Amino acid sequence: MRNQEIRTQRERHGRQAVAVLPIHYPKELLTALDLLAVELWGPPGPPRGDDAGRVQSYVCSVVRNALAFLAGGHADSVDGVLFPHTCDSIQQLATLATDLGGWTKPAFTFLHPRGADRPSARRFVEAELRRLAGTLEAFSGHALTEERLAAALALHREVDAARGALLDARARLPLDDTQLYALLRRGEWRWPADHLVELEAALATLAPEPVQRGVPVLVTGYVPEPAALLATLNGAGGYVAADDYAAVGRRVVRATPTPAADPWRALVDRYFAAPPCPTRGADTGVRMAHLAALAERSGARGVLVHVLKFCEPELFDVPAVKQAFASRGLPVLVLEGELEGALSGQAVTRLEAFGELLQGAPGAA
Amino acid sequence: MKAPARGAVTGVAIGVDVGSTSCKAVLVDGAGRIVGRRLEPAHPRVEEQTGRLVAALVAEAGVEVPVGATGYGRKRVAAARVLTEITCHARGAHALHGGGGLLVDMGGQDTKVIAIGPAGDVTDFAMNDKCAAGTGRFLEVILARLQVPLDEVAGYAARAGAPVTVSSTCTVFAESEVISLVAEGRPAEGIVRGLHLALASRVAALARGRPGTGPVLLSGGVALNAAMVTALAEALGRPVRVLPEPQLVGALGAALSVLERIP
Amino acid sequence: MLRRARYELAGRAAFPILTALEAWQHRLKRSRKQPGGGPFGPPLESVRRLKELMAHHYFQGRYADGAVPVAWVTSGFPVEVLRALGFHTVYPENHAALCGVQRLTPEYSDVAEAAGYSRDLCSYVRTDLGSVLSSKTPVGRLPRPQLLACCTNICQTVLYWYRELSRHLGVPLVLVDTPFVHGTASAHQLAYVKEQLEELCLVAGRVSGKPLDAERLVEVTRTAREGSRLWGECLAASRARPAPWTGIDGFFHIAPIVALRGTEACNGYYRLLRDELEDRVARGVGGLKEEKHRLLWDNLPVWFAVRRFSTLLAERGFNFVSTSYTDAWAEAGVGIDPDDPIGSAARTYTHVILNQDLPNRLDILRRLSRDYAVDGAILHSDRSCKPYSIGQVDLRERLAAELGIRVLLLEADHNDPRSWAAEPGENRLAAFMEGFE
Repeated sequence: MRNQEIRTQRERHGRQAVAVLPIHYPKELLTALDLLAVELWGPPGPPRGDDAGRVQSYVCSVVRNALAFLAGGHADSVDGVLFPHTCDSIQQLATLATDLGGWTKPAFTFLHPRGADRPSARRFVEAELRRLAGTLEAFSGHALTEERLAAALALHREVDAARGALLDARARLPLDDTQLYALLRRGEWRWPADHLVELEAALATLAPEPVQRGVPVLVTGYVPEPAALLATLNGAGGYVAADDYAAVGRRVVRATPTPAADPWRALVDRYFAAPPCPTRGADTGVRMAHLAALAERSGARGVLVHVLKFCEPELFDVPAVKQAFASRGLPVLVLEGELEGALSGQAVTRLEAFGELLQGAPGAA
Repeated sequence: MKAPARGAVTGVAIGVDVGSTSCKAVLVDGAGRIVGRRLEPAHPRVEEQTGRLVAALVAEAGVEVPVGATGYGRKRVAAARVLTEITCHARGAHALHGGGGLLVDMGGQDTKVIAIGPAGDVTDFAMNDKCAAGTGRFLEVILARLQVPLDEVAGYAARAGAPVTVSSTCTVFAESEVISLVAEGRPAEGIVRGLHLALASRVAALARGRPGTGPVLLSGGVALNAAMVTALAEALGRPVRVLPEPQLVGALGAALSVLERIP
Repeated sequence: MLRRARYELAGRAAFPILTALEAWQHRLKRSRKQPGGGPFGPPLESVRRLKELMAHHYFQGRYADGAVPVAWVTSGFPVEVLRALGFHTVYPENHAALCGVQRLTPEYSDVAEAAGYSRDLCSYVRTDLGSVLSSKTPVGRLPRPQLLACCTNICQTVLYWYRELSRHLGVPLVLVDTPFVHGTASAHQLAYVKEQLEELCLVAGRVSGKPLDAERLVEVTRTAREGSRLWGECLAASRARPAPWTGIDGFFHIAPIVALRGTEACNGYYRLLRDELEDRVARGVGGLKEEKHRLLWDNLPVWFAVRRFSTLLAERGFNFVSTSYTDAWAEAGVGIDPDDPIGSAARTYTHVILNQDLPNRLDILRRLSRDYAVDGAILHSDRSCKPYSIGQVDLRERLAAELGIRVLLLEADHNDPRSWAAEPGENRLAAFMEGFE
């Protein structure tokens, strides 16, 4: 499917494709320069091929799999790779793959400042955005005019608005979680304008009244993989009513009432308006308040913390999440896994037991 | 949502608990007492084995009764109700103990810590991670290494003076650690005791931070190991109460859960 | 006033304090008392002074709160600013290593794990958070901080770690964020770090209750640079054959440059040490009685097994004559410049080994291998340190192929013995050494 999209975009629109490692990156710049972003979240399954052993087994499967994937030639249909400065491991992957072998086509980096929204960080982000834009201009052969950037910003605002609306109206959306996330995750590789069309089509199906009958659950974590997790959650009587996945909810920037007229200024504002994410060094208190608000708005009765093994930024927040919701009386299930194709038997049992707990079994139907 | 109070128990039922190392089936009477039991090493053909065990208990009952299933292989059992072993252990322990509390279930494949509410509902639970650390299997592997027969474990631990520190609770690492301790001439008794303490501290870490006073309830096959009970009480700093027929608690819970659904 | 006096007094008095340091030395001495005297050369005279210096530091720490401002600081933090403001600094990494040597990590980590911290997190972090949450420490007591000072140039982990400390202790956190360097740092990268250092001066000044004295900062910067230079001279003594001390000695002697950088006490100690090492070189006295093979070590030490490793290696005539870990403090620190304390600190603290790409790391390993004429290397693949470990599989191959030396990738952990399979691990080490014979 992804390769098909890459071919189509190339043949019909002359767009090049750039593979992008998780998590946050200025997609607006790529769109503005007619570059198709194709995100690389793994891929699921064990790392395969000659390069599978180049990263130690105590490193997360995103990095291990990505290196094996890139070095194995499986991403050769793209023209370049962007490595955002997400964590120590992805940062090391960037230099490992590009400097010591694995990726020979163009490679780009994007450095995130950590911690609070400080004036120094704003200045740094703007300069870093301009630097990346310059490199991408040379790569794409297009000049990044203010018009192009403004148009891309407008498009991504619309995409985010539609994604946000779908998540906010979750209870009225007649899709199960597997279907919903398949839709949302197509945004990781489809051309944004085309993705917007399918998001709007889904919005048109919203029912006037809630149609979800399961127990509402808040999910926070890295990425909804393996997809079997969602089916198991639905089977156990729960559904994702509020989303704080790094891949999904944490990348939906809520609209500012009056965006800045200067597109660069607007881009920087959007960068800092994103929901709090541990990989960007978000303040724990701010993040917990954000999660609590999400839970409250959605009426969530339980919290699922779905973390990737060895993912330090996420793991560090687990005690705070537990504490925050314990004080609110919401049960929290921490589910740790790899990017496997299927869910482990133990994980299934935990999810089902969590479903039974939320429904007050035994006795309840 | 709170579970409705029990008391709706009217008929007899069968509970099946298909674990990773053993398969358990019980027949309960109208008062929720175990009146028939089967326990066998787990067979890979779950349908066949559980079908046979259920048939044997049906024969004891003399009448077809509904079946509740739980455990690792629960979905492959022909049953009226299927629930996870977490909910079933809570239910079984609640019936045996006559109230809520903190339950530690140490089975072959995993260890669970379950907080049980006053109505027998699960209020919180934790399980050990994927690896075998903190499980019955871990003990079996290492004890086999030391050539300590399972029925003599308690005696070994009781005879030990100071425990020998075993720091690894990863089965593979601990096995090699034990090999080198033996090579250094450390007494098997001390190693056995150290092993139990290492394991107990792992379980205690799961249990810590979970509320409750009074004894910690213990179920699962490992509960039959007196050395583990002692070590666990030491690590938890609380008395430990071994539930009667600790291996059957999950199966009992499965049987009770099916009864509660019958009006 | 009284507290200040007590702090000063604690600092000046020479007490025979039982500290972890003593334990290390005790163990080392014991190993040297083996039949036939063991494989090690005569112990360093300076060690006694090192012990006093560090004991004094930790002892003084007990009386620091209320007397002087206290900051908990990451090892790569531009500490000169804090030093100039008169902060007493505590290095949780150094403290965690101390706990690691004494094998206290499993106990402390259990406390952290019970609080919800995953065992997959860095073992320094688990040791430290466990120590904070349980109030246990082998050094008597650590003074509570008024400020947490964190610099991301060694890893992002420290930010998460210090954020949790801030949450538990209710103390403000000041961050110096140094984005990763691919090739050379861009102008906006350096400007960003510089701006943060200027913010740091204000924030730390507010906490300490007095503004930063520019003259004092110049002076401290000069002292710190001199300290790094002296530490470099101590390390360079091992270019001689035989090396006058062991790499393991180096791991312990790193404490002053980490924890007391920018003080005269640190420099005075390293002058003493350097002189002794140079004297040993002149007299041909080695760290080992018989040095047969010279090794390079990459990554953090395996603190809980440091003595075991050194003995195993020493018994067969192997010595670590250089380590990228101890070298890092000599390498980076000399870049700071009293003529431009803030600007040079921004540049220097951005360009540390762990904040730069793998080609730079490979260059350092190559250079150390050649300068110290090693015939083998051990790359410690450290479960607890991703930035130091990712890439080592390739580094191993390249070093072996380019330099024609034997290189072992040894998987362990810097602080948690539960992640170390002693038996198979030691076997690998033995097999590696047999390859030289």
